[in-house]
Amino acid sequence: MLGYIARRILYMIPVLFIISIISFFVLQLMPGNFTTAFKLNPRFSKEEIARLEARYGLDKPAYIRYWKWITGIITRGDFGYSMETQQPAFDALFRGRLGWTLLISFGTLIFTWLIAIPIGVFSAVRQYSVADYVLTFFGFIGVSIPNFFFALVVLWFLVSVLKVGERGLGIGGLFDVQYVNAPWSWAKFVNFMWHLLPVLVVVGLAGTAGLIRYMRGQLLDTLGQQYVLTARAKGLRERIVIWKHAVRNAINPLITMLGMSLPDLFSGAFFAAIIMGLPTVERAFWNALQRQDEYVVMSGLLFFAFLLQVGNLLGDIMLAWVDPRIRYD
Amino acid sequence: MKKFGAAFAVLAFFVGFALAQEYKVVPLGQGEWKDFTIGKYGGYLVVGSLDNPKTFNHHIAQETSSTDVTGMLHAGLTEVNPITDMVEPGLAKSWEISEDGMVITFHLRQGLQWSDGHPFTADDVVFTFNGVIFNEDVRTDYRDVLLVEGKLPTCEKVDDYTVRFTLAAPFRPFLREIGGAIYPAHKLQHLSRVYNPDADPEALNSVWGVDTPPEEIVGMGPFKLKQFIPDQLVVIERNPYYWKVDPQGNRLPYLDGVKYVIAFSLDTIMLKFRNGELDVYAPRPEDIATLKAEAAQKGIKILIDPTKPLFGTTWIAFNQDCPNEKLREYFRMVEFRRAMSHLVDRQTIINNVYLGLGVPQWSPVSMLSPFYYPDVPKYDYDPEAAAKLLDQIGLIDRNGDGWRDFPDGTTFEFELNTNAGNTIREQTCQIFVADCAKVGIKVNFNPINFNALVTKLLGGQYEACLLGLTGSSEPHGGANVERSCGGLHFWKYSDCEDPTPVAKRIDELFDLGVKTYDFNEAYEYYKEYQILAAENLFLIYTVNMLYRYAYYENLQNTAGFSPLAGALGFAEVLWKKNPNMVGNRVIG
Repeated sequence: MLGYIARRILYMIPVLFIISIISFFVLQLMPGNFTTAFKLNPRFSKEEIARLEARYGLDKPAYIRYWKWITGIITRGDFGYSMETQQPAFDALFRGRLGWTLLISFGTLIFTWLIAIPIGVFSAVRQYSVADYVLTFFGFIGVSIPNFFFALVVLWFLVSVLKVGERGLGIGGLFDVQYVNAPWSWAKFVNFMWHLLPVLVVVGLAGTAGLIRYMRGQLLDTLGQQYVLTARAKGLRERIVIWKHAVRNAINPLITMLGMSLPDLFSGAFFAAIIMGLPTVERAFWNALQRQDEYVVMSGLLFFAFLLQVGNLLGDIMLAWVDPRIRYD
Repeated sequence: MKKFGAAFAVLAFFVGFALAQEYKVVPLGQGEWKDFTIGKYGGYLVVGSLDNPKTFNHHIAQETSSTDVTGMLHAGLTEVNPITDMVEPGLAKSWEISEDGMVITFHLRQGLQWSDGHPFTADDVVFTFNGVIFNEDVRTDYRDVLLVEGKLPTCEKVDDYTVRFTLAAPFRPFLREIGGAIYPAHKLQHLSRVYNPDADPEALNSVWGVDTPPEEIVGMGPFKLKQFIPDQLVVIERNPYYWKVDPQGNRLPYLDGVKYVIAFSLDTIMLKFRNGELDVYAPRPEDIATLKAEAAQKGIKILIDPTKPLFGTTWIAFNQDCPNEKLREYFRMVEFRRAMSHLVDRQTIINNVYLGLGVPQWSPVSMLSPFYYPDVPKYDYDPEAAAKLLDQIGLIDRNGDGWRDFPDGTTFEFELNTNAGNTIREQTCQIFVADCAKVGIKVNFNPINFNALVTKLLGGQYEACLLGLTGSSEPHGGANVERSCGGLHFWKYSDCEDPTPVAKRIDELFDLGVKTYDFNEAYEYYKEYQILAAENLFLIYTVNMLYRYAYYENLQNTAGFSPLAGALGFAEVLWKKNPNMVGNRVIG
């Protein structure tokens, strides 16, 4: 198993390298560059813009810039800097965001699984009952409602219908303004929980709905298997049959999905993060993309590609761990 | 006795020091400040911001999310009165202009201190200009605007409190443009290659970045940086050494500070304002009705002044050098451009797109500028006049398909671009396209990505385009656009080699307009320029949005809310009736 993991990690290097080349040159297809936004400023002369392009190396052809960037990574571990904020590229992406992003994502992930798996099982076991139809109906709504729209509706509902402002509660962000830079206290924690709840609901909704559908479908498949019939025939209690025999087998594809959802942890909350004003890595990446802040975009892409690969590997490892039939060596 | 003597000496020192400080008195309650009251101390102003600051280095900062903050941290030799828009003494208490208009001597206020307590002297001023603004290493847009006949002024220290600038020629906008932020020599001088040849050329661009410890950022402004939490909050707090006082001698600002709450969507900022989490908000046209409905109940005041459109202009440009030669010929005809102006239904655009919150714009100079001339020739919406003009220049429907044709029989059509995603511009274009179709002009409307559009525009590759430019009180700010060789002369770059008589005259007027310090004389030059621009319609101006602001009534001295004050440019005199209140609720 260890040899397998080592091999997989080795494979990642050429893949990341190829991804970096492709993304760098796809990025060049975008019109303009970082200095384009300065060009309509009447206070900048043409000469100043030209100087600026020269300073950032943007007057050089793309392959030279790529070469400089990639050699910087290999020789110095230097991923470049943000033209916009003059920070190292990874600081521009992660600083003050990484922790919150992981917290929001893992929070949502746990929230999603805790709700979705039991509902999916319930739905499958009582297939075509009224409860199943109701849950399926809400599931479809959850899958189809756009994330950003739902976020806006939730905030609007809090402000206009519940009028939370009259009770001194704020919306959006992670805290009310008086708590943001205050030291941690019980009141701050309570306030944080108040702000996190709508985030979990909004970000988690689509994931939950999707997961319910998967769980239901998978379990319906396994419930039709002969070993389930055998288990029942042996006189095992229904709870054991479902959770130990059926769910245990039905859940395998979901474990693979869990691994692959690692990059989603960073990107899943994107639209909700913009509407709800949350500090997330994905929004910082999106901002860099809009500003054509080349090295930040590239570092971000490389990071997400790396995450996807690690996620795949984790998925495979977890699968081998939960399913004794699967062995890679 | 000895102890007492020492104490006395210390006291005398402080008193002496205090007397020597030449503070600026803001005459609240008098003159143009008559609607302002003397305030009380305390409380934070809470405002929404759409993005993080990208730097705390004011001379580098480009986006409003940065300058809104850095503008509060610094002060300049001169400043612009937020009510009258006139240049006033700032860090310089007075100045003299020599007979020939080329030497300007500033006398600095004495006894002032930086926000870290360090004394402020002429060295700081000389460093700021010679070491930062005139230093080509620095990526700043304060340099090019100070070029006089292609040369930068020289700046020299006369004594500790006197600084002298020498210009290549008289330059009227100088007093306004020289008001840029003064930087502390004691903090930054070693980073400038002018003073330290070993310095990194990038040092002054990267200094005071967003990761800088706040106490390192030192300024002469009313506030100093306290904290920046990415994606969440920027806090600035009172500068205890600020050099302005109210008529009773209370040191400004009244507020403890300002908190910028970062949210990335205007929808959310609007909801936060309605929820009582922000003190102020600049509503979009579509927000006004909602706010008005709950204004009385929540204690919200809404300010819309029909006499105060925003700085900046929106226009349609026809590329007189466009690659398509047949189109170029028509775009160069003033009759064609007049016909196009007759097809811009400004009133409908105001009603339907700006929801009533707009005024038509006719002149290239911003309406708030003292140089604005209101009576320029206007070619207002008149489809019949447009059709007549188009008939005259030979654009008629030759094959009966409903579209006007070139003399060779092919359909006359052009592409109109704007930046995709700007709904106001897109809707304005759609109204224009529909009105063009009514007289048989085929316009292919194609909104494209902003950067692609800028590249196309400045590369001279577009046919027609609707965009906007920022403006200011000073018409010379448009020099880079209006002059035949300006970098933004995007409607006819060929003017640079081969200027038309009108382009030549506008060049002359821009030269004359800056060479006199006499306002009335300059006004006559800019008036002629505005008439020429309006007659020739190099840019066809559309509509200008009105200034809107909403705030909770706990906030006092709000009379300064106007586009002149920029982003809370008068925040030093704002105060809160209840300092513990944010929006309409008490923070306990």
